[in-house]
Amino acid sequence: MNWRDKHLWLVVITGFLAGVLGVLLAVWGNPENSGICVSCFMETSAGALGLHNNERMEYLRPELLGFVLGAFASAALLREFKSRGGSAPLARVFAGVLLIVGCAVFIGCPIKLVLRLAAGDLTVITGLLGLVAGVGLGLRGLAHGLQLGRTQQDPSGSGWLVPGLFFLLLVFYFVRPGFLLQSPYGGAAQHAPGLVALGVGLLLGFLAQRSRFCITGGVRDSFLFGLRAPLLWGVIAFVGGALLVSLLTGRFQPGFYGQPGAHTDLLWSGLGMLLVGWISALIGGCPFRQLVKSGEGDSDAGLVVIGMLLGGGIVQSWGIAATSSGVSLAGKVAVLSGLMLVVVATLFLREEA
Amino acid sequence: MLTRGLFDKLLWLALLVLAAALVLVVVRAAGSSESAGSKVLDKAMERAMTYQSRVALIRELYGPVETLLQAGQDQSALLKLAEIEKTYPGEAHGQILKGSIQARLGAIDEAVASYATGVKLRGDYVDKENPLSRRTEIGRVVESGLQTVSARLAANPDNRTAQATMKQLYYLQSRLAGGCE
Repeated sequence: MNWRDKHLWLVVITGFLAGVLGVLLAVWGNPENSGICVSCFMETSAGALGLHNNERMEYLRPELLGFVLGAFASAALLREFKSRGGSAPLARVFAGVLLIVGCAVFIGCPIKLVLRLAAGDLTVITGLLGLVAGVGLGLRGLAHGLQLGRTQQDPSGSGWLVPGLFFLLLVFYFVRPGFLLQSPYGGAAQHAPGLVALGVGLLLGFLAQRSRFCITGGVRDSFLFGLRAPLLWGVIAFVGGALLVSLLTGRFQPGFYGQPGAHTDLLWSGLGMLLVGWISALIGGCPFRQLVKSGEGDSDAGLVVIGMLLGGGIVQSWGIAATSSGVSLAGKVAVLSGLMLVVVATLFLREEA
Repeated sequence: MLTRGLFDKLLWLALLVLAAALVLVVVRAAGSSESAGSKVLDKAMERAMTYQSRVALIRELYGPVETLLQAGQDQSALLKLAEIEKTYPGEAHGQILKGSIQARLGAIDEAVASYATGVKLRGDYVDKENPLSRRTEIGRVVESGLQTVSARLAANPDNRTAQATMKQLYYLQSRLAGGCE
């Protein structure tokens, strides 16, 4: 491990800040253990845009806008913005939907998994195991020739579209057009002050673009490079930052029962995160990383983001999202169907040797 | 003959005209208080009015039950609730009121089951700021329930009623703890 490597320290600082701010956002008003949760944010933002009818899950989360626009600002300022794409576009939209399905059954994205763990929620253990196993299986599939198609430079400039869409959503956030919904009660009504949340989103989006911070990327690199992987140290710093602030703010409540936004259907938590880990490995990053990549001009990641937004609507409308009472039949069917699709893709989308 | 250079100039001109038109449309709409479009699209206002109507209907519908409760006539209140439930089955508020009466009567297992059913139907009852909130009352029952029911379970681990109540208590505890639901 080269401790003089500047990139390593950039990743560690990003991870640590993400952990600290992830808990602080909950202190400042976001739902418990959901200071940062890309899937929850996608669900509430989809609701705000009228893509589902759960009246308690409607709020255009400024953090989400910040992640994409912060990454865009970083890439544009440091001349790393490159419009690129063309790798299995429709498959990526479906991958985005399935990412949110897996997250909704677990109740949270990989970032929230860590935040829940750092708050003492022991029900995430099977989710963690599922995520690691999923990344391992995804890597194995890639090693055996699974190929979604090559990403190419895109002269049509479609990489600008998702940052453009998120800029439009930012305008909506401030202008508040009549069609934009906001829950007066429920989880979506709990939020940190808008400008603070936007600022945190922009900062983390900027840093994540520079550092390539990614939870599943950290797991993947630890499989490939062991302790030499900078992303792994970023994830460790993330856990450390979140745990530290949880302890300092009295939010660390270790236990198995009665945890906020959690259920004890452990098998389904594991399977949900297995799906998320597997897909993340195949498409090159967790939901958070997809947002950041879409901000730097990657239209493949942009399509995953569109799929995630669509998924945010679907999991609420179709009753797929789990609640504290457990996982619904629709959720179980959706996760199993998603896993079947990934297995079929791994079997049949192989490049000939 | 439309050369490529001329065509491009026309496209740039069209872009400018469209941008100016967009700005004009937005500025005029913002300056007008009688924009028909905004009236049609103000879903948030419609949503708020629907919610207020729901709260008013619940208060009217369950008003007699509340009156009986205040008079200390718990059994009569339960009978009135059963009567309303025939007309409005699956209404969360009835379950919450039932839980409230059962808790007062000391029927902890039944009270916890009723509260859990009500909260599953509508999460409003565990919100901090909601006109329908019963957060404090539910929190109190959960706190005492966790002690008494866990003691019962410790004495008799095979007690299925206590096991089921404990599961519902954990559910309510989780909802009271918050989270993105």
